[in-house]
Amino acid sequence: MQYRKKNRSQISIRVLQVGIIILGLIMLGRLVQLQIIQHDRYGPLSRENSLRQEIVNPARGLIYDRHGNLLVDNEPIYTITITPASYKEKNTPLLADLLNMSVEDVKKRVKETQAYSWYRSSRLFTEVDFRTFSIIQENIWRLPGIGHQVESKREYPVDSLNASHILGYLREVSKEEYLGTKNYHLGDKTGKSGLEMVYEDQLRGELGTKYIKINAMGQNLGPYRNGAIDEAPNKGADLLTTIDTQLQLLAEDLLQDKVGAAVALDPNSGEVLALASAPSYDIRKLSGRIDSTYWVNINADTTNPLYNRAISSSQPPGSTFKPLMALMGLNMGIINPDTKIENPGYYQRGRRYNDLADPGTYDVGKALQESSNTFFFWLMDKIATTKGINRWHDLASSLGLGQRNGIDLPNETRGTLPDSSYLDRVLGEGKWGIGDQLSLGVGQGFLGASPLQMALVASQIGNGGYRVQPHLVSAISKSNGKELRTAPQKKEIKWLSKQSLNTVKKGMRRVVTNGGASTFANLDSIKVAGKTGTAQNPHGQDHGWFISFAPMDDPKIAVAVLVENGGYGSVSAAPIASLMIEQYLTGELNRPYVYNYVKTFEPRKQTTDEEPEEIETDD
Amino acid sequence: MTNLRELSWSLIVIWVSLIAVGLVAIYSATQGPVAEFLPEYIQINFYKQLIAFGIAILLLIGLQFLNPRTFQEGSYFFYGIGIVLMILTLLFGKEVNGAKSWLAIGPFNLQTSELMKIATVLAVANYLTSRRNISAENIKSALTTVLLILVPTVLVILQNDTGTAIIFASLIPVILFWSGLPYGISLFIISPAVISYLTIISWYWGLIAAVILTLLIFMLQRRTWLTFASFVTGIIIVIGIQVSLSQVLQPHQRARIEAFTNPSFDPQGAGWNVIQAKTAIGSGGLYGKGFMEGTQTQLRFLPEQWTDFIFCVIGEEFGFIGASFVILLLLALSIRLLKAASAHKHPFAQLVIIGVTTIYFMHFFINVGSATALLPVIGVPLPFISYGGSALITNTIMLGICLNLDFYKRQFSIYR
Repeated sequence: MQYRKKNRSQISIRVLQVGIIILGLIMLGRLVQLQIIQHDRYGPLSRENSLRQEIVNPARGLIYDRHGNLLVDNEPIYTITITPASYKEKNTPLLADLLNMSVEDVKKRVKETQAYSWYRSSRLFTEVDFRTFSIIQENIWRLPGIGHQVESKREYPVDSLNASHILGYLREVSKEEYLGTKNYHLGDKTGKSGLEMVYEDQLRGELGTKYIKINAMGQNLGPYRNGAIDEAPNKGADLLTTIDTQLQLLAEDLLQDKVGAAVALDPNSGEVLALASAPSYDIRKLSGRIDSTYWVNINADTTNPLYNRAISSSQPPGSTFKPLMALMGLNMGIINPDTKIENPGYYQRGRRYNDLADPGTYDVGKALQESSNTFFFWLMDKIATTKGINRWHDLASSLGLGQRNGIDLPNETRGTLPDSSYLDRVLGEGKWGIGDQLSLGVGQGFLGASPLQMALVASQIGNGGYRVQPHLVSAISKSNGKELRTAPQKKEIKWLSKQSLNTVKKGMRRVVTNGGASTFANLDSIKVAGKTGTAQNPHGQDHGWFISFAPMDDPKIAVAVLVENGGYGSVSAAPIASLMIEQYLTGELNRPYVYNYVKTFEPRKQTTDEEPEEIETDD
Repeated sequence: MTNLRELSWSLIVIWVSLIAVGLVAIYSATQGPVAEFLPEYIQINFYKQLIAFGIAILLLIGLQFLNPRTFQEGSYFFYGIGIVLMILTLLFGKEVNGAKSWLAIGPFNLQTSELMKIATVLAVANYLTSRRNISAENIKSALTTVLLILVPTVLVILQNDTGTAIIFASLIPVILFWSGLPYGISLFIISPAVISYLTIISWYWGLIAAVILTLLIFMLQRRTWLTFASFVTGIIIVIGIQVSLSQVLQPHQRARIEAFTNPSFDPQGAGWNVIQAKTAIGSGGLYGKGFMEGTQTQLRFLPEQWTDFIFCVIGEEFGFIGASFVILLLLALSIRLLKAASAHKHPFAQLVIIGVTTIYFMHFFINVGSATALLPVIGVPLPFISYGGSALITNTIMLGICLNLDFYKRQFSIYR
């Protein structure tokens, strides 16, 4: 018995020892599994646990004018965010108190964010003032679910400068945009018009990342390893534009309360000196928190302030097309500078085409000066019958009509420059004849051009027949110090002879000295050349045009102005262009009466659909 | 007193090492950068543990001056006092973390179930060795033994302390086995635990375990009724657990089981502790992140990191080296105690040491098992390491008794 008992206890000890050792080995094995085999999995897991990756938005690139003046800047705005799932509703009175708002307003807004997403952080209030922001920051620990961030909005340092159609505005990215690319996150803003849109990729910069230590309660415990592995955002590239701020300000001022557009180019380079479209919208109201009533209003406005007439509107150029007609006639050999025709006061071809110019003998110079329709009907007749409309189309298109010219703004129009297939399409094959083509010779009918295109025509006549590329940005200055220069080459337009150009320039000079533009466009100090025009408008008052360049022999500026429903170009558009030229070339305005005239201009009722010869104004 | 060299110094070295490791871990878990997230009454835990250590040293020394017979003679008395205290706790106790196991006596908060562990071990050992003819082979004495253990177990369950109840219950098979219960029946008694555990992981594992255990029981003890009972019990457990998992259990209980089998099912809720504990230990790697450098610990991702999840702190900050050192220390403690039991001639001393070893080891296994997700999360402290004055003092008293019995083994056995 005793022996058996002893034996039994020895066995029992062995059993217990073996049991303990087996369980001990299981535990050690588990440690090997977790700490050595699966360490690669749990190591990163613990880092993710204790770290939060935050996106750091880069500062958006700035925009400068041609003299280095800052046009578009960034301004910090302070935003309070909320994650509804972690927010406690009982804190609403405290939050409202800190924000200095009514409890109802806060409640309402909280509800909206809950409806949007329960788990995603969204903006509760944006553009709160810095003091409120600081108060929230101090009390953030009492307000679970509430966060804060500093964002930025666009700011425009030149006081009265709008340039809304050049600069453009930003809006929050759409769902497609933030899901489609990894560059955007919900709530980011992207350029939706103007330079902000075209140069979005350069202006945006690259997102940075910041690593923040957090605890299990999600509280921020400061930077991880003092920011050693943070990636700083790359600031967006700055744009150096060709805008002349003084000229732009003047153009906007002169177009105020009118409907129309003005484009000023450097004729030798295609640089856009000024580009204004009226009516325009207040660019400051679309920066930062969008004033939604304002947004609804400008979208509903029938004059369409968001529409950039300078490059998007296509109107018949009227008589401003005549210099180009003259060039075509001269270079095709149909006329020479001395070719004379008799003008009985109309042109007869199937029917009678009226001419407001005095009857008499006309050569091309006089025809330009007096804007004789008869001369150009006749010329168009010759071109259409001997060379064909397609030849006419090709020559006109080489100056930039009927096509996009690649300006760095969105929604540029092609305009309309008919050729035979166009007429076939619109009127039906074989159903069009000389009558449909004659009106093209005086810039009417199917012809349509934007103010930008007409400014190009003026530039290319003025610069001696070189094709230029219109552009607004001359250089992109990257955050790493590199600068990309845009250097569009000017290209000789082969069919234009110097001789014919001189003839036409002289004719355009005569328009200003003796013709329709002499009242408002003739400057003592500068030799301005130009051409007035009136676009027929079946829907109401005709549109006034004026194209010009100056100084005539070595032009530094070319301007095209369109005043919708302005009536004659000589009284509506010419004074605006002339003031812009004066401002740009002399740096000052010496004709207060012209300025006042433009500012108080009211288009008069006018009934004829042809260009007038004589301008009756009481100067 | 006899020669001091007779004292088991190796046990004392292990004891001091474990407490030292515990103090380091508690310091890191409550005094490091994490302190800013902790209420003040937890920040002072380290100092309270230091004081408890001081008291424990005095108790350990003091116990060596007692006559070993005292433990045997006083055992029923202690048991009675313990039961009374437990009932008082149930009536007037303080609830901490959902368990009503604390009794305020003057300025001290006493976890009465801790003291009850000693009393139960002593009483059971005394009962089983009081007369010659008593042994677990005798059905009546076996049932009495079970009853002696079940009373405190039920009281602990009423106090809502599942972890401690499991510790108490685990005494039953070990004590009975040691006292001569046939091997087959002993295996039969623990088989439900093994089958349940495996069934929770997967029902077919449970089924395989039931079959294998039945075969083993048949090989150990060729009794048809036992084999049959074992097989039927196994099947009932597998089915019962499947049914209760889907039907009977309360949602929060089920969540805990699911958190164990599939923690990623609800990572922010029931699975949180499991995921964070595994992440802490796993991210420690071979050498650990360094003292007070563990992000899981210092950023407060671990719950109860000074008590139930203290092993995670060690695993994260001292890596595999530190964690396996702790496991080896606790294994050495258990093996060394078993050696002392086998070397002892007196059955009372043997049973007491075996009982104490069982309590230590079960704490150790459940705690480490929970922290490493080998077991569902069951909140029990890691002996000598976790914060907790009552536990440290109780554990030390138990060790002191074992040391005393071992120290006086020659004199004590003479009476036999």
